[in-house]
Amino acid sequence: MHKIIVVAVREYLAAVRSKAFLITILLAPILMSAGFIAEKVMDKRGLDISDRHIAVLDHSGKLFDKLAAAAELRNAVGIYSESTESDGPEQVAPRFLLERVEITDDDQSEKLLRLSERVRDGELLAFVEVGPNVLDPASPDDPEASVRYYTNATTYSESRRWLTTAMTTAAQEWRFAESGLDAKKVRWALVPPPVEQLGLLERDPITGQIAPAQKVDAVTSTLVPILMVVLLFMVIMMAAGPLVQSVLEEKLQRIAEVLLGSIDPFGWMLGKLIGMVGVSFTIVAIYLGGGLIIASERGYLASLPLHLLGWFVVYQVLAVLMYGSVFVGVGAACKDHREAQTALTPLMVVIMIPMFILQRIISEPNSTFATVLSFVPPVTPVVMLTRQAIPPGIPAWQPVVGAVLVLLTTVLCIFAAGRVFRVGILIQGDGARFRDIIGWLIRG
Amino acid sequence: MYAVELENVTKRFGVHVAVDDLTLCVPAESVYGFIGPNGSGKTTTLRMIMRILYPNSGTVRVFGEEVIGRGSVSDRVGYLPEERGLYKTMKVRDTLRFYAELQGMRRPGSEVDAWLERMNLSEWGKKRVDALSKGMAQKVQFIATVIAKPDLIILDEPFTGLDPVNTDLLRDVILELRRDGSTVILSTHDMSVAERMCDGIFMIFRGRKVLDGTLAEIQAQYGTDTLRVRVLAESESLAGIDGIESVKDFGQYQELRLKPGANSQAVLSELMRLGSVQHFEHAHPSLHDIFVRIAGPDAHRAIHEHNDTPQPTETAECIK
Repeated sequence: MHKIIVVAVREYLAAVRSKAFLITILLAPILMSAGFIAEKVMDKRGLDISDRHIAVLDHSGKLFDKLAAAAELRNAVGIYSESTESDGPEQVAPRFLLERVEITDDDQSEKLLRLSERVRDGELLAFVEVGPNVLDPASPDDPEASVRYYTNATTYSESRRWLTTAMTTAAQEWRFAESGLDAKKVRWALVPPPVEQLGLLERDPITGQIAPAQKVDAVTSTLVPILMVVLLFMVIMMAAGPLVQSVLEEKLQRIAEVLLGSIDPFGWMLGKLIGMVGVSFTIVAIYLGGGLIIASERGYLASLPLHLLGWFVVYQVLAVLMYGSVFVGVGAACKDHREAQTALTPLMVVIMIPMFILQRIISEPNSTFATVLSFVPPVTPVVMLTRQAIPPGIPAWQPVVGAVLVLLTTVLCIFAAGRVFRVGILIQGDGARFRDIIGWLIRG
Repeated sequence: MYAVELENVTKRFGVHVAVDDLTLCVPAESVYGFIGPNGSGKTTTLRMIMRILYPNSGTVRVFGEEVIGRGSVSDRVGYLPEERGLYKTMKVRDTLRFYAELQGMRRPGSEVDAWLERMNLSEWGKKRVDALSKGMAQKVQFIATVIAKPDLIILDEPFTGLDPVNTDLLRDVILELRRDGSTVILSTHDMSVAERMCDGIFMIFRGRKVLDGTLAEIQAQYGTDTLRVRVLAESESLAGIDGIESVKDFGQYQELRLKPGANSQAVLSELMRLGSVQHFEHAHPSLHDIFVRIAGPDAHRAIHEHNDTPQPTETAECIK
């Protein structure tokens, strides 16, 4: 046992002292924060707030004035940040300047082409053609009742969205007036009753008082499973992943020959796996600890599914052991890094599967698809944990059965990897053929 | 008392017989040389002694304890492989602590420092292994092998990459370890090292033992059919002398091998006729020469043309 611990400690220190580990652990949050800060800075300083000119051909003859008034109002009060600084509010959005295009008897196509040229030249952002019947369509599919928005800046949607809202408001007001309705009363009549989503009430076991139900934060309840899955994925990649390189180094540098004189192959492999479980705890401690501190400071702690921490640890340990042992086997069976990369590709796909279907599992955690998948051992840790993290959770027996299945698979993987490792670690030159590996697995 | 006993050991890899019915006894507290061409079964034999591989048949005993089952690893054995087996990114002190602890030592810090000082590596303790020269890495690997004072030390080409000063240093340490009671198995291709350092020599060729004994015993087997001479004449002309089977020119002297029954005095007369004879010595064949006779091109030709495999040296069992 002492020797297994010696190997585990070396493996742990080698991993956590490596540049790759330090960069990922320390730099990843810094880079993410830097990105966030940069985005904030750019929000204020890097925005394009130059004036946007939009030409309007109002065939109805009734909308342009209302649109121009709405644009003026927006330009006066709607494009400034609420600043507490002494230098006053700061402009954070561009002004929209509307230009009336006179309706004449000229060739319409020529007119639209000239406007298109002005857009191409950058003089205009877009031009809008308002149909003559837009306020009072003859039928639901009246072609004369449409509004056409022409632009080459197809990804810039702010102006189109504003125009749609302004046009809708203007049209509604005109129609209310035409119908003799009081716009204020109509708006009051249309106010939707607010529906607030709450959790369940609980009786405090100590005081006996009934605690009020907490508001359910939809963002938190979706974000938490995603973050947990990302963390578990990171743990697998950072803790189990390096085992391939480590075994290959020991094989190619002939370290294996020296070590096998002092420790049996199975004990050696076990030491490596235990070391990597230690690495996984370090990653979890750093990220989860950091996450909990931030959540606590921002008041989110109560809405986090802290009862899942135990399950997280169970699945984290099993996943590192399961994938780690397979990685050890791959490293021992391959002749060099290139071959190992090739051999790892299908394995990486298996690890990535839950990431591809995560959205579907989050939206329907109790569907047959998600339930069945959560009992397939290679993906159980991620899928089951995701299902558990989404309120109201899953039946209690499911994670237990899932964990038992993963445990059995892990034992099988360690046993098989041990056999491959024992033979493969000393083989130099040509890598093992698939047939050889099967032979090692069967015969030992 | 034998440190290592192999009795009728055979190891096969598929259809290839790497070690064939080998019986060998390595006396305790001796330096035993393992020689043999590449691929002859040396490393397989060493790995069986180290319990990394297990024989298909026969028994291997280390200090009287039979090597059976997997995982029966002994802390009494230290191994220095031919190619370096060190973690490149680890620091030298950490590396040595790791290997020492792996061989069962607890808190080996002071031992590590003592060995680093002894091998003139003190200032390299905090450096990474990949910053070391080949010779330094070799010395670190050597310390890793012997730091836990194993009773059996297996050294595969320990002098590779060392300058003469460090070669002497390492040789002194090896001989001191033997004096302190360790048994040393020295696998080498340097015949002069085997001749000078080893109490006994074992040669394996094509999986079979072909030499086993002290240098004197081995040389006695091959008689005194060698003349070591220095003649101021073209070495090609020496080959034409009647009674000479082969000539090897080492630059400063020539080694002549006599045909069976040839008269050395007649050869001397002929040499004097050819040029000035500055040295004439009736010698045993060197270990190098014996090695080449067994495993050289002529031997290979004989094996392929006449299936004339060198006869294995018989050792029924180790004498208790």
